[in-house]
Amino acid sequence: MEKPMIYKVISKPEFKSFIDTLVKSNTAYGPKAVDTDRLGNPVYQFMHVQGADEIAFDYTVTHSSAKHLLLPFRDELSHYSFRDGDWDQEVRYDAPPIVLIGLRPCDINAINILDDVMLHGPYPSPYYLARRKNTFIIGMDHLPLADCFCKSMNRHTVNHGFNLFCSDIGDRYYLAINSANAFSFLKEFRIEDPSYEDNCNLIERRKSIKNSFATTVEVTGLPVFLDIEFDSPIWQKWGDKCLSCGSCAMVCPTCYCYSVEERFDIDLKGSTRQNHLYSCNLVDFAQVAGGHNFRPRNGDRLKYRYYHHYRGFAANDNQQICVGCNRCGRACLADINPKDVINDLRLERESCMTCVLPSPDKT
Amino acid sequence: MKHLGFNIGKVKIGSFDFTCCEGCQLQLANRESTLPDFLALIDVRNFREISSERFDDYDIALVEGSVTRSDEIERLKKIRAQAKVLVAFGSCACFGGVNSLKNGIPQEEAVREVYDGKTIETMPSTRIADIVSVDYCIPGCPVSKEEVERILVGMVTRSLVSLPKYPVCVECKQRLNICLFDLGQLCLGPVTRAGCDAVCPTGRTACLGCRGPAEDINFPSFEQLVRDKKLSSSEMREMLGFYNGFADYLEHEKS
Amino acid sequence: MHDMRFTIPGQDLNREPFAFKAPDFQKKCEVMITDRGYKCRITNIVPLSDNERLFLLRIVDPVEREMFNFRPGQFLMLEVPGYGEAPISISSSTSNHEFIELCIRRAGHVTSALFETRQGAMVSIRGPFGTSFPMELMEGKNVLMVVGGLGIAPMRAPLFWIGNHRDRYLDVRLLFGAKDPSQLLFDYQFEGWQRVSNVKMHTIVEHADESWKGRKGLITALFDEFTFDAKETYAIVCGPPVMFKFVCHHLDLMGIPMNRMFVSLERRMHCGMGKCCRCMVGSTFTCLDGPVFDYWSVLNLKEAI
Repeated sequence: MEKPMIYKVISKPEFKSFIDTLVKSNTAYGPKAVDTDRLGNPVYQFMHVQGADEIAFDYTVTHSSAKHLLLPFRDELSHYSFRDGDWDQEVRYDAPPIVLIGLRPCDINAINILDDVMLHGPYPSPYYLARRKNTFIIGMDHLPLADCFCKSMNRHTVNHGFNLFCSDIGDRYYLAINSANAFSFLKEFRIEDPSYEDNCNLIERRKSIKNSFATTVEVTGLPVFLDIEFDSPIWQKWGDKCLSCGSCAMVCPTCYCYSVEERFDIDLKGSTRQNHLYSCNLVDFAQVAGGHNFRPRNGDRLKYRYYHHYRGFAANDNQQICVGCNRCGRACLADINPKDVINDLRLERESCMTCVLPSPDKT
Repeated sequence: MKHLGFNIGKVKIGSFDFTCCEGCQLQLANRESTLPDFLALIDVRNFREISSERFDDYDIALVEGSVTRSDEIERLKKIRAQAKVLVAFGSCACFGGVNSLKNGIPQEEAVREVYDGKTIETMPSTRIADIVSVDYCIPGCPVSKEEVERILVGMVTRSLVSLPKYPVCVECKQRLNICLFDLGQLCLGPVTRAGCDAVCPTGRTACLGCRGPAEDINFPSFEQLVRDKKLSSSEMREMLGFYNGFADYLEHEKS
Repeated sequence: MHDMRFTIPGQDLNREPFAFKAPDFQKKCEVMITDRGYKCRITNIVPLSDNERLFLLRIVDPVEREMFNFRPGQFLMLEVPGYGEAPISISSSTSNHEFIELCIRRAGHVTSALFETRQGAMVSIRGPFGTSFPMELMEGKNVLMVVGGLGIAPMRAPLFWIGNHRDRYLDVRLLFGAKDPSQLLFDYQFEGWQRVSNVKMHTIVEHADESWKGRKGLITALFDEFTFDAKETYAIVCGPPVMFKFVCHHLDLMGIPMNRMFVSLERRMHCGMGKCCRCMVGSTFTCLDGPVFDYWSVLNLKEAI
């Protein structure tokens, strides 16, 4: 459901002072240059920031997504306090408000997908709801990197799921304001109604983003295709490369599979039930009590991750959950990336088709 | 303590050192924030680093260090006979540890180099599982006190005692570290068992695999990774051999 | 400087317990609380064999006791505080609000901890979760129940259901196969099922010594003992995957349509709510779309068997 949006423009210095005020008045996270890789490129991550100066507004991409701010890597689900053979259970949904600055459209789309999974399924998650309700999101557009393929997934634009979205139109930002809070904050700063020129610049900007995608992954019909190719040897081929290290799932903005663990407190006076983010690539993901592993091979587990991302699960309306940010592809040490795997599957399929179909010019 | 109708009592432990630096045992007395609670779980019967009193009625024996002398074999067997549960404590006990570096050179040469010609009896560094049966392994150089706490709590309460099966990368990514391969370094994170909270890569130091291999690792793919990144495969073998945790994989490669 | 004008107002979800309208498939349960467990007292523990016991649980809070409604075939998440949670199928009668019966085999760390508890211990349950056997659909028809080993645990709920509404069903038959006679659990109830519920029973074991007077062999051997009208019959099959694969194949040959055979799948659920993805079979959650599936769906699920 789309809510009406207010459009304004703001100069870049004024925007920076707005962000600075917001950051100083709240707990805020934004893209920060944390390191330099061996080629001399800065490495960005979403980190806690205390002033606008720390934020790299013109960052390329963060190595890890901002997912962990909504779905922490480890999260306490409940705590038991024991007393002589009996116990009390405490469940808390604590989430102090946070501001997330600089999310890309694909990242916001990823959060929208998580909303669908966590809140719109049969059993809404209050832990997620508490965090989501208390998260203020400021999105920013960017020119795609060479390996971004969010356009193929149709996740390169976003029209909901944020409080404020900023498009870079030269010396100013074109703001899409999507919440009363955001508007009342911005009222304190110099914002203007967009001029005709601003509107033209915005359209130009959108066009140039749309035309800058260098990577295309053909995903039409992929769900059916994955069903058909379930037993394809391709999976073992890529599985043989897979290190089963779970890096892809950790950096992914939508991977949400988890594991629940319970531990006694060290003083034995209570225990804590925790969930921690897991990956379907990890060796014991499908292991059951007694030790049987339903997916003992790397290929089976890798396939499963692709199945989840590009076919979707029945309970979530078969929605594809990949947004095309290619963080998994960049993080993978074994050089496995969605583009190559999907193309490989298609190639395999096509070569099968040519074998099966009689060629027309053989008369 | 009574919980759910069954009694949870203290466990009697003994802690013993063989050829090692005793750093893992020292970890037992580390982490002051939880130390009183930790000590309340255990009844220390034999542990020369924290008490001069010695008794031989322990149930759980924590054995640190590898075996490098024949008299150590006898001592280890005696401990095994007494203990209901024997824990290989630290990388030396689990894999042979750093001590195993000398296994690669003739023993006489090692003795000459280190002891300058004195007569010293020595044998190749051996992990304790090759001599006695081991119930649990807590790897690490040194062991992580947090993991030791968790495992001892598990033993006291008879709840799940297990190590993570996945590699260090999971924890490293959770700490939002930059991948050391991106910095041009060689790191054993992708094949090493997690549980250390990626402490070395977080400090920008390559993982040397002190916790041994993760479950069911894809070793050929890791070798391929080292080749693809144009890193030195002799350096890789040296790192893999450092704690002797990957001996099975290195041997397999030789044959 | 911290400026209150620019501080985002937080929303506190802790004020009330988080309860919400139960999903449609939970027909009998109107409101569900899924994060906080219902506290239960273990009121009795009945040893069934060396490794299996029947636990009787009573929900402590009377309101919660009334709230806990389930359908035959559903499961719950049983938590032993400190030790963790495990999915367990409910093994008691749906009309019994006083006790919940769980037939449990010692398999993993949670069930091992449960086996250490004594009568009077407090545990916690969440649920009920998952799909159920469509008992209403089977009305006016024959019901053929095929059980292998511990499959009797999820089968007891439909058995009780049929016992309570016996006039709604035609012929009801229970085939029970096990490794050895000691694995024929609940043998003390066999007579009651046969006489009171009018269920025809056939048993078979794979291995036994001379003291066993019954048949030896695989469960499919029992099919030669009786005849039935396949077109008027529904089948419920519970047991290990190998067993239900063979049995369903056999039933298929005998003419029971695949969508009239129901099986119960087992996976290791961590949440029970379709979030953790640990119990996925192909693209389907065992905890939401299962554990009860018709055999046609199972055949179409990737990696189910």
